[in-house]
Amino acid sequence: MKALLLSLLLLPVVALAQAPTIEISGANFRPLPVAVPAPLTQNDGAKALVAPFDSAFSFDLAASGILQVLDRKGFTADAKEGMAAASINFSRWADVGAEALVKVSLAQDGGVLRGELRLFNVGTGREDLKVSKDAPADNASLLAHRLADALYRHFTREPSPFLSRITYVRKAGTNRDVYVADWDGGNARALTKGGINILPALSQDGSQVAFTTYRKNRPDIYVQSPGGEAKAVISGEQMATGAAFSPDGKRIAYSLAEGESAQVYVANADGSGARALTDTPYGLNTSPSWSPDGKRIAFVSNRGGSPQVYIMNADGTGVRRLTFQGNYNQTPDWSPRGDLIVFTARDERNAFDLFTVSVETGKVTRLTQDQGSNEEPAFSPNGRLIVFTSTRNGGSQLYVMTADGNNQLPLRAEKGTYQTPDWSPLPQAQ
Amino acid sequence: MGMGGGNRGGGRTTMSEINVTPMVDVMLVLLIIFMVTAPLIQQGVKVNLPETKAAPVEATEKKLVLSIDAGRKVYIGDAEVALEELEQKLAANAKAQADKEVYLHADRDVPYGVVVEVMAAAQRAGIGNVGMITDPSTAGRTSNTGKGKSKEAKR
Repeated sequence: MKALLLSLLLLPVVALAQAPTIEISGANFRPLPVAVPAPLTQNDGAKALVAPFDSAFSFDLAASGILQVLDRKGFTADAKEGMAAASINFSRWADVGAEALVKVSLAQDGGVLRGELRLFNVGTGREDLKVSKDAPADNASLLAHRLADALYRHFTREPSPFLSRITYVRKAGTNRDVYVADWDGGNARALTKGGINILPALSQDGSQVAFTTYRKNRPDIYVQSPGGEAKAVISGEQMATGAAFSPDGKRIAYSLAEGESAQVYVANADGSGARALTDTPYGLNTSPSWSPDGKRIAFVSNRGGSPQVYIMNADGTGVRRLTFQGNYNQTPDWSPRGDLIVFTARDERNAFDLFTVSVETGKVTRLTQDQGSNEEPAFSPNGRLIVFTSTRNGGSQLYVMTADGNNQLPLRAEKGTYQTPDWSPLPQAQ
Repeated sequence: MGMGGGNRGGGRTTMSEINVTPMVDVMLVLLIIFMVTAPLIQQGVKVNLPETKAAPVEATEKKLVLSIDAGRKVYIGDAEVALEELEQKLAANAKAQADKEVYLHADRDVPYGVVVEVMAAAQRAGIGNVGMITDPSTAGRTSNTGKGKSKEAKR
């Protein structure tokens, strides 16, 4: 009882001690205008690494959805301005509309690239944040992601998605290969070599990828870690597609087609103990996606006549239809925050667009419109961003946007045809 | 004709609709007049002509200040920019673009043409509102040098 009273007394003090954070949702949200001048360099080795660092760092901040990165062309400050608050002319930064100033200094030290980041409040001239990180010199974008992550944590008090990984399918000729890349599409590495490999899904820690492959001329589900060997997990005469790891990584959900029907199954991660969750003799049940607590599964079913998003408990009970608008809703992905499911819908003009539906209220919100076909969404680890494919610039490219549909930007991946991105549920350990 | 046919074809029925033809005529004339005058109105640089007793603009927020000194050098805030770069700098300036308004602070001895060039550059950059900063104490003929002097923006 005494401890309770004490904690009640201390509560307001603790609340006051917290630094101000950016409110990153709601109607009154406005991105913080931030000026990010080109990084300073301490030595010649760092000069060569400025360009790869800068493009990754600028993209992280611009795509974060919480910051408005100001156009460098408008800057009026001296290009040689230093890192220390005393040497910075804050009125010039205020004149270009900046409320915060991010200065980065790079130094190469043998095989290591060191970066120092300072965040200033332009109004008061106070230094709000000072962090130093390092990364291998051949991976300047990793340093960019680490510094951007520190900045994101400072503003939001939660981990950024910048250190997480994505997986996707890239089409080349008749081949479809699974790739694993940084969240922004950089450092992409092919996991498979040739053949048809589709529908990849990352495990919770990003260490394993489950995908559907046709290497035996029928769809089977394999699991592979980057650099490792592929292991068949679900293999047989029936057609197994679209695996998804449960949040604890111990189980996989997938779809197994037999005759004219397809059912959602759950098995252990090694393929044992498979069990059907759905049982509709002539219906298709596909595209399972786990809720963040692993207790429920969203899936697509045509039991009502048209493909719609349904949810059920992880043991197959309590099936509930979630979408009632439109006649073609597919590829659901459950937000790691648990409140929303994003899905692809074909609207009345036969265009594919992205929508979210609230799990509790069933309220549907449109995210994309009049920008080509937008499909195959996947939530970021913190549920603030969504990666998806879009044909707005011809071809099928990877794009990222905030969970409310704002700030849609193409990823930094090279040109190509991309399909079915998936985002690892948790950021990689630093 | 007989009585039966007269009832049907005769001109005794009342016209119950408004005749819209004159209204359409008038509207068409008005439309043409507006179309002809509209380009005339938009020509030239928009300048808010000085008034002798203009009320000072109530500046609740600090707006971006463009300055032109006696040497005809142009400044954004206190940073000197070349006149040819001014449009690009203003177009990329988030503050000016959000406010759609800048204040112009030009030396008394700067030729009118230079001021108009700066105002035109601001307008090309999408900033329609250019407020003029003047010294309210008009008694002295001294050149406006003082940054410490009290200044007010007038439109």
